[in-house]
Amino acid sequence: MLVQVRITEQLSTIMFSDLTTQKEGTLMGQPSAECPVFDRVPPTNSSYSERFKLGERSFSRQYAHIYAARLMQMRDILSTRAKQTWGEHVPVRRLCDLQMGEQCCIVGTIFKHMELQPSILKEISEEHNLLPQPPRSKFISPTDELILEDELQRITLEGNIDTPKFVTGSVIAVFGAEKNDGKFTVEGFCMADLPPQAPRQTLSSDRFVLLASGLGLGGSGADSLLGLQLLVDLVTGQLGDLGEQDRASQISRVLLAGNLLSQSTQDKDSFNKAKYLTKKTQAGSVEAIRMLDELLVQLVASVPVDVMPGQYDPTNYTLPQQPLHRCMFPLSTVYPTLKLASNPYQADIDGVRFLGTSGQNVADIVKYSSMEDHLEILEDTLRLRHMAPTAPDTLGCYPFYHKDPFILEDCPHVYFSGNAPAFQSKRIAGDDGQEVLLVAIPDFSRTQCACLVNLRTLECEPVRFSSFSADDNEDNEMNISH
Amino acid sequence: MYENRNELVEESDMGPKRRLITDTFKVVKRAKKEQKKDKEPTAQEKKEPEPLPLTQREQDLLELRQFDLDWRYGPCTGISRLQRWERAELHGLKPPQTVRELLLGRGEETEYTHSLWHDLPL
Repeated sequence: MLVQVRITEQLSTIMFSDLTTQKEGTLMGQPSAECPVFDRVPPTNSSYSERFKLGERSFSRQYAHIYAARLMQMRDILSTRAKQTWGEHVPVRRLCDLQMGEQCCIVGTIFKHMELQPSILKEISEEHNLLPQPPRSKFISPTDELILEDELQRITLEGNIDTPKFVTGSVIAVFGAEKNDGKFTVEGFCMADLPPQAPRQTLSSDRFVLLASGLGLGGSGADSLLGLQLLVDLVTGQLGDLGEQDRASQISRVLLAGNLLSQSTQDKDSFNKAKYLTKKTQAGSVEAIRMLDELLVQLVASVPVDVMPGQYDPTNYTLPQQPLHRCMFPLSTVYPTLKLASNPYQADIDGVRFLGTSGQNVADIVKYSSMEDHLEILEDTLRLRHMAPTAPDTLGCYPFYHKDPFILEDCPHVYFSGNAPAFQSKRIAGDDGQEVLLVAIPDFSRTQCACLVNLRTLECEPVRFSSFSADDNEDNEMNISH
Repeated sequence: MYENRNELVEESDMGPKRRLITDTFKVVKRAKKEQKKDKEPTAQEKKEPEPLPLTQREQDLLELRQFDLDWRYGPCTGISRLQRWERAELHGLKPPQTVRELLLGRGEETEYTHSLWHDLPL
């Protein structure tokens, strides 16, 4: 009991930093006759976008369509943006009309030629007798070069452009001239920048949305389970004193952004071992899903919960990932408050547009560019107006043909990605008065941290439950010694 | 010159073998004539269908193939012509209205609904 008290005291200072109204003596005092009841804020009116739902699933197409559609959608936006940047009279050319030495602007899709990019063809080419490559965390090298492609042709870019920062699939406009050697010397480039934004409703009172990701159930480390249970108890109002329970009742929604199961549940042992050895073993994910169901049922009984699948969850691998199947959650699926959502996720919660992923798109850009910081990448994808530029090159993606659903047509108010190494958040403002909150939701199983977004003020703060983790010395107030 | 003539005479006297050369020359000439004759009928053949107008179906298919080969509307494999037309319309590329009418007018005929590479595997 004492442990819990300490933890919530710590929570109160972080989570409700600006709102703390700790009522003295409500915890250790005499039990009182009347029992205060805190009503949860009424369910928010939220609408979910069906943008990422797949109807027919036809895999007979090639990926050329998605690049063609992407360029079709982006060309006009970028041409306008180019005229704003380099003057109304700048010629916007297609590559086939390019004149040698003429200063002009071209719009196209970036292809980054990378020597180190893993290629199945390289791996199977036996003639080369290649050594197995060491596992890499990044695939960039100084020899990488950028090539700009339009509908018909491609041209190598050089000059004033930061090669390692770009990734394949981004559509940009570049300004410069073609030189004698057939390369395009870039003087400047521009991105599509933030899309237009619908105004946000003004709320009269504070309401919070709790964002968490990477619950990592079924993993080896059991120490995250205490944190997880504390998180559930906090949300359901079973932790802390009256003041905190009052605050907890203002959490109007919980959003779980992917990787509910741990990577270790995807263990491929059963494929390698002889059948008779694994006949009676159950897949690790079965037990993990059952635990998830038990956790969810505690939450959904009290608050609406949106569940997005992630990289290690039992749904399709390619983006957009479709919602987890409800038959996996026999306990919690009976509650109407459980919403199994797609990844990427888009919804309007109390007039605040949320858009985000479970983090695969950002993690992939970390691998194929010089950028490391999840928040920086998040901002970059927003300015590119494309959530997952590396799909379908290095990120699995459904072969769309009609339009590219990852292009941002209107600007979200909260743009997030899950499973980041640490909590980060930032507010950015666009030229046309857009206001976006970027949130990198930390991986809960590693950081014991979730975050709360205030829908009224669009502020975000972390909630830490780091209890018995080895790596934090500064806040081991609730060490085992207590 | 004379020697040559003599030789020729001699050769002609030598027997029927030399006559074969002339035969071959003649044959060549005839062949040329024949080629000319061949050309004439082919030209006639070409001329012959010209007065005959293309059937409606052939004209339609020709127009549809032209639509397939127009790069502005993006790749044409793997999707139906109508899907490609609708995509082009969605992105404001103004595909020809006649193509849509043709596609909607015809039923489920693969030759109409799908692009000209339809029979080839991906």
